[in-house]
Formats: sequence, C-alpha cells, structure tokens
Amino acid sequence: MNPAPVRRGILATMTAATKRRFVRADGPDKVTGSGRYTADLTLTGMLAAKFRYAGIAHARITKIDVSAARAIPGVMAVLTNDDVPDVRFGPFVQDRTLFARDVVRFEGEVVAAVAATTAAIAQRAVDAIVVEFEPLPVITDLEAALAEDAPLVHTGWADYGAAGELVRNGNDASFSSIEKGDVDAGLAAADHVVTSRYVADGSHAVPIEPRAVVAQWEGNKVTIWSSTQVPFDARGGVCETLQLPANRVRIVVPHLGGGFGGKCGFHYEAHVAALARAAKRPVRLVFSRREEFVAPDRRREGMVIDITTGVRNDGTITARQAWIAIDNGAYTADSGFFPQLAAMHVSGPYRIPNLHVAAHLVYTNHQPSGSVRAPTAPQACWAVESHTDEVAAAVGMDPVEFRRLNAVDTGVEGPSGQTYGEIGVQQCIEEATKLVGYGRALPDDEAIGVAIGWWPSFAVPSGAYIKIDGDGSGQIITGAQECGTGSVMTLRQLAAEELGMEPEDFQLIYQDTSVAPYDMGATGSQTLFNNGRAVVAAAGQIAEQLKALAAEHLEASAADIVLADGHAHVAGTPGSTVSITELAAIAGGGELLIGHGSGTPPSAPPLAGSTCVGDVGMASFVAPQFSCHAVRIRLDRETGVVRVLEVGAAHDSGTIINETGALGQIQGGVMMGIGQALTEGTLYDDDSRQRNAALLEYKLQTSADAPVINTHFVQIATPDAGPRGAKGLAEAPNVATAAAISNALAKLLGGPVRRLPMTAERVWETATQSEVRS
Amino acid sequence: MNLTIATTLDDALAAVASGARPVAGGSDLVVGARQGKAPLPESVVAIDRIRSLGDIDESNDGVRIGALVTHARLEVDAGIVRTYPALADASALVGSPSTRNVGTLGGNVMNASPAMDTGAPLLVLAAEIELQSTKKSRRIPIGELWTAPGRTSARPDELCVAVHLPTQPARSSSAYLRLEYRRAMEIAVVGAAASVTLDEDGGLASLSIALTAVAPTIVSVSGLDALIGRQVDAALLADVASRASEQSTPISDLRASERYRRHCVGVMASRAVDAAARRARGESIAVPVNRSLGIGAAS
Amino acid sequence: MTVSITLNVNGTDYPVTIDAGRNLVSVLRTEIGLTGTKEGCDDCECGACMVLIDGHPVNSCSYLAAQAADRAVLTVEGVMVGDELHPLQQALLDEGGVQCGFCTPGMIISATALLNHNASPTEEEVRIGLSGNLCRCTGYVKILAAVQRAVADAH
Repeated sequence: MNPAPVRRGILATMTAATKRRFVRADGPDKVTGSGRYTADLTLTGMLAAKFRYAGIAHARITKIDVSAARAIPGVMAVLTNDDVPDVRFGPFVQDRTLFARDVVRFEGEVVAAVAATTAAIAQRAVDAIVVEFEPLPVITDLEAALAEDAPLVHTGWADYGAAGELVRNGNDASFSSIEKGDVDAGLAAADHVVTSRYVADGSHAVPIEPRAVVAQWEGNKVTIWSSTQVPFDARGGVCETLQLPANRVRIVVPHLGGGFGGKCGFHYEAHVAALARAAKRPVRLVFSRREEFVAPDRRREGMVIDITTGVRNDGTITARQAWIAIDNGAYTADSGFFPQLAAMHVSGPYRIPNLHVAAHLVYTNHQPSGSVRAPTAPQACWAVESHTDEVAAAVGMDPVEFRRLNAVDTGVEGPSGQTYGEIGVQQCIEEATKLVGYGRALPDDEAIGVAIGWWPSFAVPSGAYIKIDGDGSGQIITGAQECGTGSVMTLRQLAAEELGMEPEDFQLIYQDTSVAPYDMGATGSQTLFNNGRAVVAAAGQIAEQLKALAAEHLEASAADIVLADGHAHVAGTPGSTVSITELAAIAGGGELLIGHGSGTPPSAPPLAGSTCVGDVGMASFVAPQFSCHAVRIRLDRETGVVRVLEVGAAHDSGTIINETGALGQIQGGVMMGIGQALTEGTLYDDDSRQRNAALLEYKLQTSADAPVINTHFVQIATPDAGPRGAKGLAEAPNVATAAAISNALAKLLGGPVRRLPMTAERVWETATQSEVRS
Repeated sequence: MNLTIATTLDDALAAVASGARPVAGGSDLVVGARQGKAPLPESVVAIDRIRSLGDIDESNDGVRIGALVTHARLEVDAGIVRTYPALADASALVGSPSTRNVGTLGGNVMNASPAMDTGAPLLVLAAEIELQSTKKSRRIPIGELWTAPGRTSARPDELCVAVHLPTQPARSSSAYLRLEYRRAMEIAVVGAAASVTLDEDGGLASLSIALTAVAPTIVSVSGLDALIGRQVDAALLADVASRASEQSTPISDLRASERYRRHCVGVMASRAVDAAARRARGESIAVPVNRSLGIGAAS
Repeated sequence: MTVSITLNVNGTDYPVTIDAGRNLVSVLRTEIGLTGTKEGCDDCECGACMVLIDGHPVNSCSYLAAQAADRAVLTVEGVMVGDELHPLQQALLDEGGVQCGFCTPGMIISATALLNHNASPTEEEVRIGLSGNLCRCTGYVKILAAVQRAVADAH
C-alpha cells in the first residue's frame, strides 16, 4: 500500500510570527527564581493546614474525637464532616464527601483537617485526633469485585446522583460497550484466532511541584490560590460543597509546577477555604511528596485487558472481542468516561469489521483513579499493540507490514463506525520506522519495537478577551491554564498573527477565574485547540476595529486594509500606511480597542453501524490524533534490565503552531511513557496501602536514562479542528511508547511481558519461563 | 535539638562522649526525621569542620582515608581509582552528585545499611576502621563493625575517624557492581565487590567477594579457596555466580523478590570478578563499572 | 534549642535565629525570603531544593541550616550576572528547556556546580551531573541541549 504523501502546504501559509523561535513569556520568571508558585505565597496571619487521613483502606468509623486536638495551643480550627455542608459531589457519580462520612474507603481519605499557627502544631493536633475504626473487607481484585455476591465498596450506590448516560451496577461504577457487525461470525471466518490477557498496574502523574492551596476570606468572598490545572473546575467544586455562588469564589493559579493530569479536578480547595473561614485567618496547605502519592483522586488506573482477534491468512483482521476492567478506586473522580475511552483504545486505530468491546469501571479500596495524561490509553495501547504483534506473528507477517495493512486511513471506517477525513496514521508509521532505521541489523541484545496510537481532540467552550491600550501594547486575558506545556504562552503568537503585531507586544493575564471567561483548563490537550480559537476570534474583533480606524485615517476602504509588521497598510498602495501604535492612540481617545471571543467548538463526527452502551461521547473522535513510536532497546538478558536507546516518534497532530513547545511535549511524553513501561508502578501491601509512595521507590527516569528522541510531525491542516488546522498534542506522545518498548522486548524474549510496568524482575521472569518452555 | 558545631577532634569526641550523635553532611539524619522514621536526636555534634578528618594519606602500609572524605572525592582520587577501584566504583554510584558531595565514607560505613554501596568494596579490600573516644583509639577489621541493619559494634562514645586500606599486591585489582533499575539515583537492589590477585600465568592467586543487600549486613562469600589457581574464564565465573547465589540470604521487599535477588547477586558477583580480573591484567575499565560495561554503558 | 547564626546567601549576610533542627531550605524560603529554591520531595530524590555551599551542590532539604553558617550559599536568585541572565539561564530559554519551571532552579544550580569544576563536560558527564534533578516535563532533551549550548557559547 502506498501511503498518501505528507501535505506540507500549510507551512507556506504560516506567517513569520508562527515560524520564529519561541521563547516563553514566563521563562525569565522561571530561570531567575522570581516566579511565584502557590507554596511560595505568604499572607499576614497565615496558618498551616494538615490533614488526618484514614490510614486504613476500608472501615467503618466508630468514633472521632477532636477535643484533644482543639485544646492544643495554637490550633485555630479542626474540621470533620460535621462542620461542613452535607453535600455529596462528583462530576460523574456523586459518591464523595469532603470529609469521610461513616465509612472510609481508601487509605488517603481525609477524615479531619487542622489549621494551626505552625505546621508542627498542626501535625501534633492531627496526631491527637482520636479516630476508631471497625474494619470492613478490603476489595482490590477487579474480577472478584464484579461478581454478583461481591462485597460492595458503596452499599448505597443506587441512591447516589449520577450522570444520566452512565450504566451502573454495584461495584461497576460505569459500564460501556461498543458493538459493530457480528463478532462470532467474524471470528468463525478467521484463519487464526489469538487471545491475550494483559494486566497493567496503576501509576502516578508525579508533577515535581507537590500541590498547595492558600485560602483567604474577605467578608463573604474567598480567594483561593491553588496549584490546579483546572481553576474553573476547582471553583465549581468549592461552590458545590460549600454552597457558595460562583461570583464569591475566586481561584487564582500562580505558576503551576507541572500537572500531567495529576492536578486536574477539584482537590482540597474547599477544605482549605473551610479551615480559613472557621479560623478567620488565611490558611495554607502544602503537600509532602508522600501525600501527593497517596491522597489525591488522580492515580493512573490499573487495568485488566482480555483481547481476542480473528485474522485471515492474508493478514486482514476479521473481528475483535475484548473485555476490560478498570480500577476506579474508592470514588469516581472524572473516571466516568474511562470505560468507553478504554474500549476505543483496545479497539485501536484499525479496520475492524466486527467488534464487541465491553469495559467496566470497578470500585475498589484503592486510591481513586483520575485523568492522568491520556487516561486509559498507554495501558490499553500497550495491551492492544503487544497483542497486535502476537497476531502478526500468528500469520507470519512483519508487524509493521501488518499495521500498514490494517490501520485506518483517510476515508476509511474505524472500529466504532467513524469515517475519517484526511489523517496521517500511515505516514506516521512510515516516518517513525524510518527515524530509527527499522529493519536494519542489530546486535543480538537489541531490538526495535513499533506501536501506533491515537487520541481525540476535545472540543469544548472557551473564551478570551484582548485589549490594546493607548500605547499600542496588548493584553490577552484568558481563562486558559498554563501547566508548563507552553500552550498558553503560544496564544501570543496567534494574537500577533491576527493583528500583524509581534508576540512580545502582548502580556498574558491568565488563570484567574474572576478576571477571564470560562476555560476547561490544562486538561484534555485542549488549550490551544479551544482557547486558540477564542483568542483568534477576540483578535479578529480588534482587527476589524483597527481596519476601520485605518480606513478612516488613510481614506481607503476597510476591506483593503492589511495588518502586518505593526502597521495597517492599504493593499496595492505602497506608502499608504499607519502604525498600530498610532491607531491605538486614536482609539484611546474614542472607542477603545477591546475584543472578546469564544467561537464555536467543532462538533462530533457521526458514527454508523455501531451500538454504544454507556455512551459518554467518546466513541466519536473529534480531530483524531495519530502517532507511531519506534523504539530501539537493549536488554541485559541475565538481569532483565532494559535500557531505551533511541525513540522515533511520528505524530499527526495537525498543524504545528509552536514547534519548540510541540517537541517538548513529545520528548516529555515519551520519557513519561518509558517510565511507565519499565519502572513506574504502584505497589500495595496486603492491606491495600501503597508501599512505594516516595521517589526513591517510585522511580522516574533520570537525565542519565534519557534516550535519543527524534520527532517527525505529519502536518495535515485539519478542518473542523483547532486554529490553523491544529489538533491537540499534549497527551498523544504518552500513548504508544510503552507499547513499542513491549514489542521490542517481545522480539528479544520470544514473547511479550504481560504485566505493566515491565520491571526488570518481570522481564527476567518472562525470560526464565520461555527458557523453560523451549 | 541541641547542636554543637565542633572544629576540633577533641571537641567532637567530648560531645560524643556526652551522648551527642555525630553528623557530617547530616542528610541521613535530616531525611530520616522528615520521613518520620526517627525523630531528630536530642543532641547532635556536627563534625564536618574538623579538617584533620578530611585527608587521604598514603603510606607504605596502604592508605588512611579520613572519615569525612566524601564520595565525590573518592570517585576521582587518583590513588583510590588506581589501587582500590572497587571503592571508587561504589562511591561513584552513591545517590546523586549532591549526595556524593555531602555524603562521607565515615557516615556511609557507620550507617550500617545492608544496602550501602561502599561496604562490599571495603570488605574485599580488607579495610580496618579506626574508632576513637576521649580515652582511646582502636582499629578493627571492618567485618567486625556491622552487627545488624543500622547497628555497629562501635561503643556509644566512639567516633569513626578513618578507614584504613592495606597495600595491594602486584597483579591485583578490584571492582564493584550493583543491580540498578535506572542509571542514576539508585539504591543497590543487590551488589557485589570482588578483589582479585592473579598469578604470573593469569590464574587466580587470591579472590575475595562481598555481597550487598542480600543479608542483614554486608557479607563475604566463603569457600573461594577452592577456586585458587583456576583461570578466570566462563566456567569460573559461573562457579562464582552459583556460590554467591547459594550463600545469599536475601529478603523479598518492594525492590525485588528473594528469588530474583538471589539470582542477580550471582550475576553481579561474576561480573565483579570478571571486571576485577580484567583490571588486574591491566585493562582500563573506567569508574564506575556500572556505567562502563554492559547495559549501563554510555552509548 | 535555637541558634543565632549568620548565613551568607548570594553574597549577602543574613543574621537569623532559628531552631537548630531546621533544614536549610525552610530557612532560605521563610526567614530569608528567597523562594526560588523549591521543595519537591521529602528525601533528597528530586533535586528541586539544590543550592551551592562553598561551590558544591547540596540538597538543602536535607541539610541543617546551622551547618551552613559562615559558608557561602548560592541559590538560583544569585546566579544572574549583574542585571544579565547567566549564560545557562539564557540557554535554557533559547533551547526551550523550561516548561513548568519547578525543577529549573535546581537544574541551574546543578549545572553551575558541574561547570564550575568541569568547563568542557562530555554529554555523558552532563547527564550524570544533572541526574539528581528530576524533571517530568521535558524528557531532559532540551535541558541537556541548553547546558551543552552554554558550554559551546563559553568556548
């Protein structure tokens, strides 16, 4: 099959502003140490907050006595469930309360909170709180939890409020299935049927900044500084749980020290606000690394994945059947959509005529799961792509050739019945394999593995304002949240392009819920995709104003005015020009230059021929992104230690607007994927408590481990996408790396390691077993 | 916490005699307190300003390494790298550049962790430890120092002031390797040090091996006399591996299972013997072996 | 027990009276008011709190402030050369080696320590020199490139 040529035409239409080198607006703050992060803030009279955690995975609370804690000098507030409004909350299932009520369901559940004059006193008070428990059965096994007679994590589940589209039953917090064609007939028509089971452990986002929250009340209004990726979501949580209107809660995010999904959702802002209200003093909470591991509802979900695929001798897939169990943990954070998303990823970007995938989101007594960078995708991709190499082997086909044959393409129908516009998955396969020299001779302890992945873009509402002041300098006021990716920083380029100005002409005012319009936050790779559209729209309003002013000034038609190089020009009339600074001065004495924008998010493409149960809208991918990672590894056969030497990453994320930032996302995402593949996994003791909640035992990759990472962007200006034909980008690089490493390892071992992370010991065990077999 | 900052050895010994806990860089102490493992002691004496404890002195008997000599210095000190490369291998692997800069040999040894990197090299190099109190000074073989995880035979009033390494015979060298899951910031899952002397025909004239993180303390492999005279070849390395594995008594914990540790310590022991023998033959294998050979090599 | 000591930070003497058990990072951030030095872990594992003491890198989270008395402490706030960015800082900006920025101060300090005693490090030496500083954003690629660029620019 000849892949379609890479279309590069869009590059010719990009202006100089888009192509020039990108230096972050917040960079100088960050390299000099002058940038303030939440934990750096100090307010007069500020108290320190500490939490009392359950410390036990599942138990009924028989007693809470805070009297001794309240009596300690310096303790200004001690709160439990009795001290806050009686509200259950949760974006998909309202199964949570701010403080444990009657039952604790994971070790990191907050039972009480203390504010005191020093952190040491607060800790003493926390330790002085008497909590007594009656243990309940601990539920950790996903399959056992789905049994009819299994003990329930939430006995009252049926009475909880929940999003209407969710299908729930006991410990199954959200069930979803995608069905197309006739799977039984498809499998019967196959020449080979391959069945595999893969099991992924949970893992963590691990932003280097542990979270922090500062709250201060003035009258009946509260300002909360929080290290959140989603300030508007955080505000929503405070309003809901403390029963306040949105206009009395202001969330401000100082510089944010990374998120990776770990700081999405509503976390602790209400606890700290409630403490500050009770203590009548500002209060600051700063997490330790251990708390960061154990408490938030943002762990990457463990999964059990069974896949069966039928394939003909010519290599074409006839059918796929899969069963997925996802560890929801004790409460449903934003995980309600995980089953359908996981079902899409286990289906994969393949031509599958007959499909039946069923996915369960299972309550356990683990820490709750939530959206960590590309939720469900790295594990599901690891499983389905390892399985794909097994299927290719069954028909004796090179795994890359097998993917070329079966992967979706422009105009082709995907597994859920979506027919794609112009997409670059075939080009990604071509380019990634070329980057690492797939097929070349290698030493016998090295191999190259290849995997493809996909990820949707998220189309959601978003808004921005722009103003140009009388001196010609601009400000972009946006609700978008910068978590380090550079996507908010890139907004300056878009505004500059629309107005013929320079990015440096603009300052960014961002991540303040009382100043800017709504934005979903640094989540779903959506910032540039949606807020970029809003900024372009806002700048467009100012462009119209400038053109009208220039037309009057230059005695020309507004339709003939072109904004470029900081000036308004009359097209075709050289020398007839006025600077934007001059126009801004004129406007400063009359109708001010103010733009606002939101734009219309692209709508979801239609599906044909499939039936979705528990449909949360994830079976149709808006502006789907594709990727192929080809990874060369070395294996120490005697110990099972794996080293990643080289990664070729090819991505179709549409038009790349900021190449420096985009490369940073690929490189960081690949590195996170390597960690998840080899060294990052949560370990539990018999009582369901985390054993490796520290950075010595939960091992991130270091600079000494970083491989060569080469990147190719397949740039297709995608219609019905983000500005300039851009798609999302930040999560996609995290999808396929672990899968590619798995496939390289399988070549060296003679079969896959069926457990994620593929730790040295698990690799060694697999090698030992295959030696025994042979 | 009561803190004394000592600038002379006498001040330090007096403080230790009165119950103060000695600290050099202090990182183990402060980390332990922050993690809630052990509260800060009531009384601490900082010894890091005692200049006399920071020297490396070579003599006809060998070398005396002051207790305050840092890992960062040991990994590059020409005399250590030349004569006692296993100790340099281990020092180069401890923690990160900053922990190697703050961490001292005396602190590492007295911490008595079964996973300490410098322990196995010191054991195969026949190190002695010099302990001093206000009353007297004594030297004991390092194998008699560690009694249990975190426990030593030093008396409460004794301060470790130096580590002594004897001269090494001709055609001898040493090496230390550890199993690590990433190339930096690791703690030994298991490790092994070997000290090898070859005869004129390239056969083994002497061999000692010590193992890291497979027993309550660093332990020596026994019964190696049977290997004397043999060439260092694949068969010998396989013998070494099985002896090391058999003699280890590891635990299962979050870093590795007992079974995997037992297997890997054999691999590390055979690689350490191989690297030490190659060095003894004059081959240059840069410090640390972990980052010169095999999976950890720069590429 | 409290101790009254003088901390020399970025060339300025600060008299402070603190509990003897306080770690250096908390004194830098709270008493001295320099918040560029960050805290990312509890156990010397992330490197965000890195400072130089007499020119050597130290995890200030695990170092008693009192032990730094009368020694020269350098934090990220002291790295600039007059009003100009240090070449390392500029290279990090130019190469795109800054994302969330939380590891950046520690990276700059570790790179400074490395270049102080090795003006022409190999790529492997840079990798090892920065290996005590965890970064979750960049995959280290652009940070390593920035250090090498600063080295190249200096020659």
